[in-house]
Amino acid sequence: MKTFHIILKSLKEQYRNYWVLLLTLCLGPFFIFVYYLITETSETRYDILIINTDNGIYEHGQQVNHGKNLHTFLTSEKQETTPAFFIFNEIKNKQEGIEKLKNKQADALIVIPESFSQVLSASKRGDSTNLTTVEFIGDLTSADYMISAVWVNEMLNEYIFKNTTVKKIVTVQETPLGLSSKISIFDMYVPGILIISVIMLMFTATIAFISEVEQKTIIRLKLSKLSAVEFLIGTSFVQLIIGIISVVLTLITAVLLGFKYEGSLFILLVVASLTSLSIISFSLIISALTKSANEVLVVGCFPMFLFMFFTGAAFPLNSKTLFTIASYPVTVPGLMTPTHAISALNKTLIMNMGFSSIMPEIFSIIALSIIYFVVGAFIFKRRHLRLT
Amino acid sequence: MDSFSNLPNQHIALQIQNLTKRYDDILAVNNLSINIYRNEILGLLGPNGAGKTTTISMICGLLPPSAGSIIFSDYGVKNQKLLIGYCPQENIYYPRLTCMEQLQFIGLMYGMTSKEVQERANELLKLLGLHDRANEKAVNLSGGMKRRLNICLAIIHNPQILVLDEPEAGLDPQSRVLVRDFIKEFGKNKTVILTTHNMDEADRLADRIAIIDHGCLLMSDTPQNLKKTIGEGDILEVIVENNDNIGFINCAKQLSMHFVNVKTNANSILIKNPGIIEHLSAIKNMADNFSLTIKEYKLRENTLEDVFIHLTGRSLRQ
Repeated sequence: MKTFHIILKSLKEQYRNYWVLLLTLCLGPFFIFVYYLITETSETRYDILIINTDNGIYEHGQQVNHGKNLHTFLTSEKQETTPAFFIFNEIKNKQEGIEKLKNKQADALIVIPESFSQVLSASKRGDSTNLTTVEFIGDLTSADYMISAVWVNEMLNEYIFKNTTVKKIVTVQETPLGLSSKISIFDMYVPGILIISVIMLMFTATIAFISEVEQKTIIRLKLSKLSAVEFLIGTSFVQLIIGIISVVLTLITAVLLGFKYEGSLFILLVVASLTSLSIISFSLIISALTKSANEVLVVGCFPMFLFMFFTGAAFPLNSKTLFTIASYPVTVPGLMTPTHAISALNKTLIMNMGFSSIMPEIFSIIALSIIYFVVGAFIFKRRHLRLT
Repeated sequence: MDSFSNLPNQHIALQIQNLTKRYDDILAVNNLSINIYRNEILGLLGPNGAGKTTTISMICGLLPPSAGSIIFSDYGVKNQKLLIGYCPQENIYYPRLTCMEQLQFIGLMYGMTSKEVQERANELLKLLGLHDRANEKAVNLSGGMKRRLNICLAIIHNPQILVLDEPEAGLDPQSRVLVRDFIKEFGKNKTVILTTHNMDEADRLADRIAIIDHGCLLMSDTPQNLKKTIGEGDILEVIVENNDNIGFINCAKQLSMHFVNVKTNANSILIKNPGIIEHLSAIKNMADNFSLTIKEYKLRENTLEDVFIHLTGRSLRQ
């Protein structure tokens, strides 16, 4: 019964301290809107420079330049299934091209060799003794270079298959998983942002715990018959509700902006609730290490950024597997529950996988939440609830 | 030993026995022993850092003693927490809850029923002049109102022992009188322990004063007894009209045989003695015997502050 009264009291306090509450509830939808603007209004573009040194050949009394033809082939191949947009510009000077690459004015430089037409023509006649090299130049650490190079290489092979006797003995058939063939980049980001809206709970939850310490009202609670467990459960319950509302508001915003999803909303709510509980438990650790709301706003930024940027919430992240447990990879970001929550939401909302397929994630979130809670409750009780 | 020591055991509300609190190298409370009685208002006086707050924190259960014990009388209450009401020096309240809401909340935390807590909250708000502010958020109250709300929160569960840390601090005269009357009324059938630096407050409110310094109990007794027995005593200035030199000097000599501290000025005799007021008629008789006409008596009674300074010294503390 006391827990119920703690819940009512916390609800009133949260409602009346509406600035922090509004901030928590609005950040998820705000991030959705920002990502929508970034992905839908910014132009995806890959600038590729071509230097054609091909001398060409005479075939049937006509001048043929395969280097020039390749350029035409590349620009005429419109890829309708991908939003990527490749811009080709021919230049004459290699040094000029390298300068442009260094200045990020281009993503890749393709140098077509002098013997390109000659080798292709020989190959067409069945003579495969001559070889030539098309040079790709670019920043290997740049994803834009990688995408440009892979695409040009693919198109180069297509051109060769069309213009020589070389046969394509293997064809690749691509089968998209779930909604992956239909989703936009914006859709890909939404599961992570749904979890960001839960991560934002860290501030309200920590402030809810620490305000009792800061206002010293914890003394009144210590003097009363209220137990530490009743206090923690009552305060956490209100935060759980805020977490769920935050996720729902974020999802509604995403859907209004065109987010397409499959899978069960029930699973989404289960994952969101468990993640909220884990964030609340983690907040307990922060509140145990701080003494005031001001300290929370400073100290809390560090774990919040960790949770946002090292779990794949803000952008997709691939981490090195340390080891596996029952074929489930254990990674360093896996020590943070949002990593598993995002994985579960991707499986559910994008890949339309069922509850059984996210059991490892659910188990990981629960196990980590228990660890956070036990550590948080222990330190909080020692620092703020015991006789001092 | 004080004038309360002879009271029978059933009058004892709590017994503090050899209470000690040590923080690393600092001995905050040193072997403190005192009995506190039912229906008594005990004023705990001491300079800053004397160990008052540490002592009351241990009484309230907010601080574990390093040694010694605090034994509560059997009030027929299972949970000792219900016996104590604590009103700290700092106003502690929920700023975003109304007066009524927080009284209800704290009452419920003490296990009271909604009905009980509603009735009790109304009663207390009325008693402490906050009934018309019942639905006002605490953050919007004035300093005096917050202090009164702090007292309401301390006694919402109707405790047998009320511990008040500087109850009148920061109050305007009107609020001070209201709070003082309330404490006096409360102390008629409950135990009140209050700490204060305000000697006037202690003198007016307390049935008994305990003076502590460096964690030790120096003295405890009624304010009247302390003023009578500790310090230089009252100062009586007897101003005479006809200071016939011989009579005036002989009278002063006669008085110095009865009182230790007698001085003369041009036309007055200064007598310092505890409880001098009781000897006033004898002094008048002596003056009459020496044919001195007393023009005026000026009496400065020994104050609690004199007693306090006498016991704790003049050196500044933390």
